Amino acid sequence: MWTASAMATLERPRPTTSLRYLVALVPLLCGLVAVFITNIPVSILGGLVPPPLLGLVPVYFWCLVRPDLMTPAAAFAIGLAEDILSGGPPGVWTLAFVLTYTVVARQRDSFAGLGGAAAVVGFAAVAAFACAVAWLAVAFLALLSPGATRWPLLAPILSELAMTVLFYVPTAMVTGWVHHRIVGPMRSDI
Amino acid sequence: MANAWKIARRSNAQFPLVIVIALAIVLVLLGRAQSGLFDRARVQVTDWMAPVLEKVRAPVQGFDRWIGSIGDIFSVYQENLRLKDENARLRQWRNVAVVLQGRVGRYQAMLHAVPDPKMNAVLARVIGRASRPFLQTMILDAGRSSHVAPGQAVVDPRGMIGRVYLAGERTSWVILLSDLNSRIPVTIAPGNVQAIMSGDNTATPVLEMVSRLVTLHPGDQVTSSGDGGLLPAGLPIGTVMSDGKGGWRVALLADAASSQDVEILNFAKPPEAPPATAQLPAEAAGLKPQPPLPPASSGTATPAISAKPSTPSSAPAPATAAPPQPDAGAAAGEPADVDR
Repeated sequence: MWTASAMATLERPRPTTSLRYLVALVPLLCGLVAVFITNIPVSILGGLVPPPLLGLVPVYFWCLVRPDLMTPAAAFAIGLAEDILSGGPPGVWTLAFVLTYTVVARQRDSFAGLGGAAAVVGFAAVAAFACAVAWLAVAFLALLSPGATRWPLLAPILSELAMTVLFYVPTAMVTGWVHHRIVGPMRSDI
Repeated sequence: MANAWKIARRSNAQFPLVIVIALAIVLVLLGRAQSGLFDRARVQVTDWMAPVLEKVRAPVQGFDRWIGSIGDIFSVYQENLRLKDENARLRQWRNVAVVLQGRVGRYQAMLHAVPDPKMNAVLARVIGRASRPFLQTMILDAGRSSHVAPGQAVVDPRGMIGRVYLAGERTSWVILLSDLNSRIPVTIAPGNVQAIMSGDNTATPVLEMVSRLVTLHPGDQVTSSGDGGLLPAGLPIGTVMSDGKGGWRVALLADAASSQDVEILNFAKPPEAPPATAQLPAEAAGLKPQPPLPPASSGTATPAISAKPSTPSSAPAPATAAPPQPDAGAAAGEPADVDR
């Protein structure tokens, strides 16, 4: 009885090639969905705080877990979607996401070894880097504008950073569930 | 989980990172030069999302108001006293305004002043708001199909909120007065002081380019000046307040966070043809020597005045031939202010 059950598990039918390619797009789709949810222009708290950068969580998660599925091009696409939907200066979040991806990919072993509260701190550092890149890009664009006299305020971007870190744990739980239920079983043989 | 991550695969990305980073930098620079592509994508997305946003709007609006009113609970009594006092003073001012409005109307009729340009308004509903670090905007459910165009002013019953900067087929995006990218010319009364009001993503935009010779006072009224012809003049915006550092800011009358229904003003100022010499109000009033005219047209300037196409039909006919009154000289100079 036990043997038959074990054999059935081992002989689980492999997903078809097209389905496996489709599953490879799940990290990208998760990032795009997160960006879409973030940028639904509905204010829950009366505009007191900006929405979190939920799109950064899938980029961070899969860059650590399965970087073969979260490629630089995918990070680029998610950042581009954030740019289009957020309405800000074009290209700012694309640059921020791509540079953040680069940092995470280079320091992958360091970030992947974090657990518990340290993992949240690690993500907070990554999110702070992304927000800093975006702020610097906007400041650079503001300097190019004729008549610009002020730097962009720091308070709004710090609020967005705080909200992003606050929403990291629930978003990472959802992302982890998607990975273990969908992406992992379908792509474990690669 | 850490162990699972350590055994995970290395990236076999097809696009080298350097190329993607270069593309992102190019995108930033290209987006600054050619933002039209991004704008079209944004309005198409919001056009597509408009039905969903309208469905979501109702339940969220109630929760939004409840959250926004939490802070007011603790100041209801003081607020009530302040409003009663303000209401009593406003009633007095209303009576004064009614009298002055009638007087101004009579003066305009007597002087055949060019009336204010007609404005059509489109009533729109706020179906979305976004308060991002680099953009403060709201989305309306009226677009090009309702003759909404970029640049048009958006007002609520209290005052100006912002102006349209993207117009889709069924939706439009409004850049708020408090946004970092908002700069509009304003007039400060009393004193007719001209200034530029710039948003900085705070609730109180900054007054810039105010002459050092001018003295402002907290409570002075700020309205749109109409300079450049982009916005109608005289739209109420807010009141002057000190920023505590020697500068001046504007406390906005409208609250963009709570506005639900707004008006989009279609301000199409007709091109203004330079008037002929004999049509200038001062000369028409007989205050300057007339240039020599041929005998056939050597009459008074009255026909030229009455030939103005936009003269209100209610203008009293005898006024055109009335002799200049002592105060007509000062009044004759008014069309520059009245013609907005």
